[in-house]
Amino acid sequence: MLDIRDLRFTWPGAPDGSGRLAIQHLHLAAGRTAFLYGPSGCGKSTLLGLMAGVLVAQSGSVSLLGQDWAALRGGARDARRADHVGVIFQQFNLLPYLSVQDNVLLPCRFSALRAGRCAGGPAAAARALLQQMGLPAALWPRPASALSVGQQQRVAAARALIGAPELVIADEPTSALDAALRDEFMTLLLGECRAAGSTLVFVSHDERLAARFDEQLSLPALNRAAEVVQ
Amino acid sequence: MNALLQIAARSAWNRRGTLALVVLSIALATALLLGLERLRSDIRSSFSQAVSGTDLIVGARTGPVQLMLYAVFRVGGATNNVSMDSVRAVAAHRAVSWVVPISLGDSHRGYPVLGTTPEYFARFAYGERQPLALAQGRAFSGTLDGLYEAVLGAEVAQALGYGLSQRITLAHGLGGVGGELAAEHADKPFTVVGVLARTGTPVDRTVHVSLQAIEAIHLDWVGGAPLPGMKIAPEHARKFDLEPKQVTAALVGLKNRAAVFNVQRFVADYEAEPLLAVLPGVALDELWAAVGLGERALMAMSGLVALVSLASLVAVVLAGLNERRRELAVLRAVGAGPRHVLVLLAAEGALVTGLGALLGAAAAATAVVLAGPWVQERFGIALQATAPTAAQWGLFGAVLLAGMLASLVPGLRAYRLSLADGLSPRT
Repeated sequence: MLDIRDLRFTWPGAPDGSGRLAIQHLHLAAGRTAFLYGPSGCGKSTLLGLMAGVLVAQSGSVSLLGQDWAALRGGARDARRADHVGVIFQQFNLLPYLSVQDNVLLPCRFSALRAGRCAGGPAAAARALLQQMGLPAALWPRPASALSVGQQQRVAAARALIGAPELVIADEPTSALDAALRDEFMTLLLGECRAAGSTLVFVSHDERLAARFDEQLSLPALNRAAEVVQ
Repeated sequence: MNALLQIAARSAWNRRGTLALVVLSIALATALLLGLERLRSDIRSSFSQAVSGTDLIVGARTGPVQLMLYAVFRVGGATNNVSMDSVRAVAAHRAVSWVVPISLGDSHRGYPVLGTTPEYFARFAYGERQPLALAQGRAFSGTLDGLYEAVLGAEVAQALGYGLSQRITLAHGLGGVGGELAAEHADKPFTVVGVLARTGTPVDRTVHVSLQAIEAIHLDWVGGAPLPGMKIAPEHARKFDLEPKQVTAALVGLKNRAAVFNVQRFVADYEAEPLLAVLPGVALDELWAAVGLGERALMAMSGLVALVSLASLVAVVLAGLNERRRELAVLRAVGAGPRHVLVLLAAEGALVTGLGALLGAAAAATAVVLAGPWVQERFGIALQATAPTAAQWGLFGAVLLAGMLASLVPGLRAYRLSLADGLSPRT
C-alpha cells in the first residue's frame, strides 16, 4: 500500500542538514496502523509530507497504491492526495469559518472519488462519522471555532476518514489533549481506521501509545542520513 | 474551483471587519475616480455645448481663447471694442447670413449684462443647435418704447428670486456675485420682461438688454465714470441717437459653412481696424487644452488614491498571511494544490476589489443624483445622471484589474509558502 525505497530528501537551504532523510526501505500493508516516533527535528513531519505527496523526494521513491508520487505532476499529485489521503494535524486543524459538518465535508469538495464512496452521500456520511465520533447533532451546524480542542480533534479525525481514504496521516494529534481525552480519541481513531480499512501512520512523542499500533517505527532507526553523509 | 470560491467567500466573511475597511477604501477611491471622470466629461460637455450654430465670433484682435472666453463665457475682459462700421462690413460679406453684435462690460449683482439685438434670441443656439427658449414672458422689444427691458438667464432669476416685472438696475463693470448693489446706473432702472429656460451654459448667468439700452445708460458717462454735473433722465435718453458706435464682439452665421475660412481671412485682412474671427469649436479645443492640465492633475491624484487603496489591500492580505498558513496547510492536506492557494488568495482580492468598486460606482452615481442640482446651481455644470461613459467603464475595469493583479502579490507569496511548508507550516 505504502512503499518507500532509497528515499533521499533534504530541505533546500536547511542549516546543518536538519530534517534530512535517507530511508532505504519502508513498507506498510493496507489496513495496518503504524506508530512513528522520534525526537523533535528528526524529520517526522517531513516524512509525513513525503508520504502525502505534498513534498517530493530528491531521489528514490515514495509510492502510494503502487504509484510513485514523484512520477506525477503537481496537479495530479494534489488530486491523488485528495482521493487517497486523509490528514489530521496537531492543532488548528479546522477552518474556523466553516461549520463542523462543512469541515468534515471538505475532502469531498476536492475529490469526487471520496464523495462517491460515501454511502448515502457525503452529507449523510459526515453526519454518521460525527455521530460515531461522539459529537452531538447540535454541534454540527456550529462554527468549528466554537468547539473545545478535544471536540475539534474528533471533527478532524472525521474529516480525515470521510470517503474511506486508503492512507490516514496523523501528525501529533493528541499532544494538546489531556490523558482521558487522548485515550478516548485514540480508541475512536483506531477503531474507525480499522473499520474503514485505512492504513494509519501516527506520529507522536508519547511512546506510551505505541503498544496500541500494529507497527512501531523509530525514525532515527529508519533514517540513515547520517551514515549516507559519512 | 467552485468549492474554492465558496471557501474564499466564507474565509473573507470570517475576516469581514478588516476587509470591510479595505472595501471602503477601494469604494472611496473608485467613487473619486468615477466622480471626477463624470465631472470632467460633463464640464467638457458644458464647455462644448456653450455655443453652437455660430460659425464665427468676430472681435478686436487678441488671442482666440481670450475672445472666446469673454464673448461666450463672460470671463476676463476685451482688449478693445469693435466699431459698428466693421460689424456692418462683415455683415455685408456675401457669405454671411446673419450677424448679432454683443456688448459686455456691465453687470447686475455680479451677473454679467449682455447688450444685444432681439435677433440674438432667434440666432443664438447651444448644445445640439438648440435655440434659446423663454420660460416666462418675452424677449425685449429692441424699440425705444421698450428701451429699459431686460431678459434674465434662468440662474439669475432663480438665484436672485426675480420674476417678471421685477425692476433691476445695472452696475458699471463687473462686481462679485451676491455683492453689494453698485447703483451707478440706478437712475435708469430696467424691467424684467422675460426669463429664459435653463440651458446649462453661461446664458443662464446673463442679464440681456438691448444695445440701445447700453448706449442709454452710458449717455452721461465718459471714460468709465459719470460726467460731473450731467444727468440725463431715462425718458430724455430716448431723444438721443442710441445706435451703438462700438460693440464688444459679433456672432456671425454663414450661408454656407464652407466659406468659413474665406470670411475668417476677410476679417483678418480687414484694414479699417485690426480684427479677429475665431471658429468657436477650434477656440473651445484650445481652451480645453489649457484647462486640461488641471483636469489631468485631478485624475492623477485620484489615481494615486486608488493606488494607495490597492496597496492597503495587499498589505492587509499579506499581514494576515502568516496567521493563515495553518488554514492553507489544511486546504493542501485535503487536496488543494499551491495553484489553488494562489487562486484562493486572488479570488479573495478580486471579491474585495469587486465589492469595493461596485460600492464606489454606486456612491458616485448617488452623489451625481444628489449633488447634481446643487452643482448646476452653484457652478452651472449640468451633471448627467446617465449610464456610465466609456471612460467610466474603462476606469471601473482598470480598478478591478489592478485589484486582481494586486491580490496576486499575496497569492504568489502564499503559493511559495505552500510549497515550502508542506503539511506543517515552518514559521
